[in-house]
Amino acid sequence: MNCAECRENLVACVEGLLDHEESLQCQAHLETCAACRAEYTAITRLQRQLVARGPATAEVSLVKPVMQRVHAIQTERERNSIMTKLFTRWGFGLSAAAGAAAIILIAFLVFPKAQATAAEVMTKGAQAVAKLTSIHLRGQVRTYPADNFSYINADSPFYSIELWKQFEPDLKWRVEKPQRVVVMDGKSTVMLIKSGNTGVKLPQRTTSAFDTEWLHRIANLSNTISNELDNARAKGWKLNLTEETGTDGRLKSVVTVLAKSGVPDNDYCKNTFMENADTRRVYRFDAQSKLLESVQIYLTRPSGEVQIFDLSQIDYNQPMDSSVWKLELPADVSWAQLPEQLSKLPDNEKYASMTAEQAARAFFEACARKDWDEVGKFMSPVTQGSKDYLGGLEIVSLGESFTSKTYPGRFVPYEIKLQPQEFNVRVSNANAAKRCVVTGMYDSKLRLQQDFKWSTEPEVLTNNEAYARLSPTEAVKAYFDAQSKLDWVEMRKFTSESDVEETKNQVEAAEKQGMDVYKLMPVMEAGEATWSAEQSAWFVKCRMSQTKKWNLAIRKDNPAGRWQVDGGF
Amino acid sequence: MDLTDKEYVERCRDGHQEDFRVLVDRYQKPLFAYLAGRLRDGRQVEEAAQESFVRAFLSLKKLRKPESFYSWLLGIAGRVAKEQLRSLKHRQQDCEVTESIMANAADSQEENYPLEEAIAALPETYRQVILLRYYEGLSCQEIATRLALPLGTVTKTLSRAYALLRQELAARESAEPTVNQTELP
Repeated sequence: MNCAECRENLVACVEGLLDHEESLQCQAHLETCAACRAEYTAITRLQRQLVARGPATAEVSLVKPVMQRVHAIQTERERNSIMTKLFTRWGFGLSAAAGAAAIILIAFLVFPKAQATAAEVMTKGAQAVAKLTSIHLRGQVRTYPADNFSYINADSPFYSIELWKQFEPDLKWRVEKPQRVVVMDGKSTVMLIKSGNTGVKLPQRTTSAFDTEWLHRIANLSNTISNELDNARAKGWKLNLTEETGTDGRLKSVVTVLAKSGVPDNDYCKNTFMENADTRRVYRFDAQSKLLESVQIYLTRPSGEVQIFDLSQIDYNQPMDSSVWKLELPADVSWAQLPEQLSKLPDNEKYASMTAEQAARAFFEACARKDWDEVGKFMSPVTQGSKDYLGGLEIVSLGESFTSKTYPGRFVPYEIKLQPQEFNVRVSNANAAKRCVVTGMYDSKLRLQQDFKWSTEPEVLTNNEAYARLSPTEAVKAYFDAQSKLDWVEMRKFTSESDVEETKNQVEAAEKQGMDVYKLMPVMEAGEATWSAEQSAWFVKCRMSQTKKWNLAIRKDNPAGRWQVDGGF
Repeated sequence: MDLTDKEYVERCRDGHQEDFRVLVDRYQKPLFAYLAGRLRDGRQVEEAAQESFVRAFLSLKKLRKPESFYSWLLGIAGRVAKEQLRSLKHRQQDCEVTESIMANAADSQEENYPLEEAIAALPETYRQVILLRYYEGLSCQEIATRLALPLGTVTKTLSRAYALLRQELAARESAEPTVNQTELP
């Protein structure tokens, strides 16, 4: 062994990692070479110093106590952020009372009087709930039940949305709409998309997550005021204050904020998320108690205003049942991989070098082949629902991708023909008109997809007899027929008002997008009916063939640099 | 998921404060050893170590070079240790025991804490193997498994880490400790 070889193997020799023969060679060289011996001695001396660290620190366990202190600080920060966030920005770190006075003073110096008085009402509202232990918001929003928490659609019906937030003894929260729920139980944050049977887990506590920030902000008035005042100053948002008498006969202070998102009108994502929307926000405070009592948000479009959010119930400091912080997960839930955890594939370069159009094509082609491993390289998770929906599809056309100012990826226009889907329609004639009407939709495995709520009993028609004679299958056929002809009056004879409204809205929305609705309308077939004693209803087996034309949202801002399908089905 | 210090610091700043746990886990032992070199008393060392981490957490937004998290943390710990010694001195000015603790601590400064400072000055790849080998007590083979590296790469990294450490220690022998002059929280 020469000097170079000896130096190269010195650490392995010190660590006892050389085989017997190599070790002997190394030792022999050390005995004859003073320079290498000096090196050896230096390493072993350093090693001795380092080894001494091991036993001295073996029992050290600081993670728990440090994180406990960190959590306590976070909770206190969150709880007090009603005031502190506001005051650090606007009141220069003063105490609550002095801070509030400072904000009001600054508002009067910076803004015209009308805006300053509006700011004053909001500041006092924040002050009124300075030491909050919990808050519960219940409202409704125009959205899709399973879509993103921030997603809004002026053409959609209202769906309920709720936030529960506990500040003491530790921070916990839950946000829920009919098909999507997220719970932060103090340890981790878990979201369940019920309709897709998909779970997403963030292994940490959060103060907000999964696009619920806009709702948390309302729960945290100081954030709202900071946001509105910052924007009033930077973007010229207008604040104004009026007074009115509420239904309870008490005087209310009404602060209206005209918010401009700054997103161009022709942007694809404009007005689709709370953050991208131009809105008029109305905050109603009780003039005496100073408490915020309601919030309405209106989408302001050139074509007119549409109310998209209505918050009418705010409960302050109410005890919260511990069951609120528990999320019941289905046993077969599919877990989505977080984009930030996406690791590189052995042939990652092949995917990373694709254009958005190439990635969209590769994705749809994999769906067409039902090659779910390949599909999994473009989306997570690949649920049974996705497989049922996309499996065996046929690509009709793919267009040139485009971008939105607010989205980090691209959108690829597509038209695909979906494989016929099987599903079941629940039908009942247990009503005053004795007609078979639709009461719910079930998937092929008889899992409830949508429960049709009839606000009133089916009406007795002038020619009711003819309808009452229809068998369950015939009634469903007639329902499909009316739907395909966009004959809303006829459709209403077989289904609930809300179903008609929803279909109508979807058709109108598609027409606005320039789609050929008649061409894209699914072709429905109704088959045999089976009686369910348990449900006291018939289940009619159906098939749907559909062409889908939309824009695939696809992005590659992840560690693997690979295109990932983000939405747009 | 083994991210770099910089990535964890950035995640904490982006609201994933729970990730601070990883940084505590990663540096609790060397930090403890560093403070033990200054304070000696076990309870005091633990208090100072906790306090240092909590102060680091609170000041995370001010850290200009997230890749230098550990070196910055040692700076904080140095100040915490000084404060503790000062307050101990004030509290028990007349007590001989304190004087002896102070004397011990002063003696120990020379011999102990430059090693941790030198470790802090290592590039992260080298620091990582040193911490795993000596503070976590892993063998080279275990390190190779943990980091999914060939055994030869681990011994080479370790060898380079020793060389850098020796250089760093030699440089420090003729100079004042610099860690406290790095970024202030």
